[in-house]
Amino acid sequence: MLLIITFLIYGGLELTPGDAVSYMVSPDVLANISPEKLVELRESLGLNDPFIVRYFNWLGGVLQGDFGYSLTSGVSISKIVFDRLGATLELSIAALLFSSIVGSVFGTLSALKRGSIFDHVVTIFGMVGVSIPRFFFALVSILIFSLTLNWLPAGGRIFPGYDSFWDRLPHLILPAIVLGSTMTAGVMRYARSSMLDALNKDYIKTARSKGIPEWRVNVVHGFRVALTPVVVLIGFRLPMLIGGSVVIEQVFQWPGIGKEFVSAVKGQNLPLIMMIAMFSVLAVLIASFLVDIFTALLDPRIKLD
Amino acid sequence: MAKHRKSKLDKKMDEIKRKEEAGLLGGESYNRAINKFKNNHLALLGLILFSLILLTSIFAPLISPYKPGTIDVLNRLKAPSLSHVFGTDQLGRDVFTRVLFGGRISILVGLGSALGAAFIGVLIGSYAGYKGSWIDKIFLRISEMFMSFPRMILVLMLVSILGQSLWNLIIIFILTGWGSVYRMVRSQMLSIREEEYVQALRAFGLSDFVIAYKHMLPNAIAPILVNITLSTAMFILQETSLSFLGLGVPLNIATWGNILNVAQDLNVLRENWWIWLPVGLIISIFVFSINFIGDGLRDSTDPSQQG
Repeated sequence: MLLIITFLIYGGLELTPGDAVSYMVSPDVLANISPEKLVELRESLGLNDPFIVRYFNWLGGVLQGDFGYSLTSGVSISKIVFDRLGATLELSIAALLFSSIVGSVFGTLSALKRGSIFDHVVTIFGMVGVSIPRFFFALVSILIFSLTLNWLPAGGRIFPGYDSFWDRLPHLILPAIVLGSTMTAGVMRYARSSMLDALNKDYIKTARSKGIPEWRVNVVHGFRVALTPVVVLIGFRLPMLIGGSVVIEQVFQWPGIGKEFVSAVKGQNLPLIMMIAMFSVLAVLIASFLVDIFTALLDPRIKLD
Repeated sequence: MAKHRKSKLDKKMDEIKRKEEAGLLGGESYNRAINKFKNNHLALLGLILFSLILLTSIFAPLISPYKPGTIDVLNRLKAPSLSHVFGTDQLGRDVFTRVLFGGRISILVGLGSALGAAFIGVLIGSYAGYKGSWIDKIFLRISEMFMSFPRMILVLMLVSILGQSLWNLIIIFILTGWGSVYRMVRSQMLSIREEEYVQALRAFGLSDFVIAYKHMLPNAIAPILVNITLSTAMFILQETSLSFLGLGVPLNIATWGNILNVAQDLNVLRENWWIWLPVGLIISIFVFSINFIGDGLRDSTDPSQQG
């Protein structure tokens, strides 16, 4: 699967207007090179080979960490990506933690108190959460919490001299909550229905009739089983999280891969766009693999092949 | 005198019987679906809000005395007043008018892409799902490939390849959206395929196309409708986020996302709330109402969701 995608991505790279040399060779080298040398260079880079051969050359390079060079800044793409990976990971993991914990806890509670006011409030919040455009939510929260109340910074990540985790934390809160908002709503709705499902099962009745305390029935017997579909949902939604970070990083000026991606699209920087897209696919595939393992751990009935 | 002292229940029973004899009580399931939908107050509310916003957008030129692109430098950044209900933006354009006209484009993009994606997904899905074999395998692989990209990244990648325009955006949305419809229709067809009537039709020697499109597809129509509503909501959200970034519909066309684009500036965000807050609320309400309609449709057509 990944192989086909790399093939398509290379096809996209070939569509890049201009000379392929410009993204394959460091611009420093390219600046002082004579025309004869350039012809030689093209030959040695294999640019005159047929498409398939070029593709495998490129793939070999990628596997060894040679991703080519950005068209606009001339910096190597691997450097750009790895410089910003930390910021993006930090933001996505924070959003992921927020939405899975808040979502599953509130969803479960509202299932336990089915029909109460709390349940209705949670359900309506879930509906609102999936309907508000996330960037609009971001704008409103910036207006309220940063510009009016002055509690949290409006954007950015690190200021020179203030780069410990605790200095960064206030910057992280708003973007992480906003990024996780849609997913929180989804997890909440899903956790609620799956918990209701679990509570109707026979083994819950058995557990109750054995005289096990109510909280233990709910948490150990109900929640654990209800969690499995929720984990699967979280896995399915991970691509949305990665895609969403593109917009959110832009709004909060968060210096991650998503922001880099937007400026690459604006600048028609195709090599960089393709590489980031490939990384995102890789991230999705890894995430779905992790979800498989995690569900197998949670539910003894599922066995990994 | 027992005849006149019937209990309430008996009277109801009589009423039902009378209706049945008069042929008023059709057993058709869509009647039941419509009744159920009517009883779902949230879905009805959604339908009302949806129609309200849709109609005001369609009849925008009749409602607003201004034009969405008219620049009035003397009236820049005016707060809401009687002559400008939502105020004016940096170029003195009437924000309310722009919201109305923007709705036309945003709804067109959302609904058009959803219908387009559904058309392609249904076209391929019902035949491939019925036939199985290599056709199905190939399309399954292709759709898997599209779905392993985070959608936003795929969309932006295609924008950078195809270029930025209104029609390109719709094409891109259709390209990225058909996969989920295809997979849903396919799984529906896989289960309908096992029904006896399909085997009977096959025994009659009907062509595969007739069986798939004429006899099987109508039985899968309800989930397709639900999918179209919910994906309309999703595409509208995508269009607004893309245009907000300045990468969706070109900025000279007013859309809901393009109006919000200026709010990237913190000054506008703080000082000129009327430019971006009402549009954002309208987008949210619109998407909210579509989601309600979609949920209502699903609840009323899906027999496994009784209650």
